[in-house]
Amino acid sequence: MKRILVVDDEADLTHMVKRGLEVTGKYIVMEENKGKRAIATARQFRPDLIILDVMMPDVDGGDVAAALAETEEFKNVPVVFLTAIVTEEETKPTGSFIGRHTFLAKPVNLKNLITCIENHIGA
Amino acid sequence: MTDIYENDAVIEKWRNPKGWKGVAAISFICLFIVSVGILVYGTGGTAFVWLNMMYLPIILAAAAYRVAGGAAAALIGGLVLGPYMPLHVSQGIPQNGANWLLRTGVFMLVGIVTGYLFTWIDRQYDRLKQAYDQLALSHLELQNTQLELIQAEKLESIGRLAAGVAHEVKNPLAVLQLGIDYLAIAAGGNEAVMEAIEEMDTAIKKADRVVKGLVDYSRFEKLDLKVQPLNPIIEEALNLVKHEIMKEHITVESRLSPSLPPVPLDHGKIQQVFINLFINAVHAMEGGGKLTVATSRMLLTEEYLEGLAQPVGRFGPGDDVVIAEIMDTGTGIPEDKIVKLFDPFFTTKPVGKGTGLGLSVSRKIIELHAGWIGIRNRQEGGVLVTLLLKPEERSVSTS
Repeated sequence: MKRILVVDDEADLTHMVKRGLEVTGKYIVMEENKGKRAIATARQFRPDLIILDVMMPDVDGGDVAAALAETEEFKNVPVVFLTAIVTEEETKPTGSFIGRHTFLAKPVNLKNLITCIENHIGA
Repeated sequence: MTDIYENDAVIEKWRNPKGWKGVAAISFICLFIVSVGILVYGTGGTAFVWLNMMYLPIILAAAAYRVAGGAAAALIGGLVLGPYMPLHVSQGIPQNGANWLLRTGVFMLVGIVTGYLFTWIDRQYDRLKQAYDQLALSHLELQNTQLELIQAEKLESIGRLAAGVAHEVKNPLAVLQLGIDYLAIAAGGNEAVMEAIEEMDTAIKKADRVVKGLVDYSRFEKLDLKVQPLNPIIEEALNLVKHEIMKEHITVESRLSPSLPPVPLDHGKIQQVFINLFINAVHAMEGGGKLTVATSRMLLTEEYLEGLAQPVGRFGPGDDVVIAEIMDTGTGIPEDKIVKLFDPFFTTKPVGKGTGLGLSVSRKIIELHAGWIGIRNRQEGGVLVTLLLKPEERSVSTS
């Protein structure tokens, strides 16, 4: 099973992503609601893919992604930004590359989220 | 502001009267002169009180017909009093005859000078009216600018608010969306549950549309301008709403001018404007109608601008513009609601049909293009939307 780390300050959202992904039986999901703890949690959880919010109260998601990219163990782990700062028109429903990362617009439906994950780490 | 034209009718009535008024004025002056002559003759020609009365019809004639009127009245007055001259000369009082000649000369002088003074007053009055007109125009422009500023400030604060609200609403929407997707799986095909989930899904999508409108509204700060023809963008927009047009059995008449100059445009944003306008037209013609879209180029005239019946801000007579017009044959818009059409969240559509943001977003886009958008009801029924856009500077002098 693929391991997904979801980092977002909205606990309801991370919880729902966990429920939605885990019900498929293909994923194990770890939630993290503090951006600053994202790297520590990633070290502990060893994710195959990280879903990351951009605007978090304690840290910017972009900074977290940059810090992950500088880390030898996570530099090749794909990061998907799940954020309200882009619209579906800009990103396509299953996400698109903006710069170095994939962006998905909130609200995303489960099917598109799974397609996006599969595009990065396979089914 | 005091209306300088308030007494204009009275002034104009006494300036160079013509027709029956002219006949009445000239008859009155002539009668006045003859009456004074009779008084002078009747009193032996020595009563200067009566003689001085002759100045009155001369001044009146100068007031009515300026220099020509004053001179003519003076001449007539002199001629009426003329018989006294030889009479006095024959009576051996030559100095009195000379006095009469001198008096006629003075009549002339008074008539001409008074006429000239009235002509001078005319010029000053006309200048005053011109200045008044300019002042009134500036006053109107100032009022319009003030209104635009208030509107811009209002829209800016709404934009900031919209961005904040949109961001905050997207998170709970995401939770709801993922939640119903999860429930759809967990329901295991239970039809009643699936039906409820579909309704929730529709509601989320509606809410998401509003949020997207808010984001669009708050975002348009910069444009990706490229000098390009307008017509292909309109054709693309028409193509994108083709399905909705066909569904409502609406016929389309396209009168796109083949000789339009290129315009600096943000392709995507302008396309969005036309899609919004076409969708509005379609919603106004449910069950059938005719959608007409036309483009043209013109040098704006005062007559055309007056026809728009709304302040057009930065555009004035003589400006070279590209015009796009979208007409429908729908029910039109109540006149009291037209002024609110561009306000965010104002909609005349039934609940669920519109977010009330399409036109405010469209106007924002057009204003960022330094253009103008206006909506008015057509006399034949339905609505006419007019867009004014500035063609590329270079093309102004080349055609």
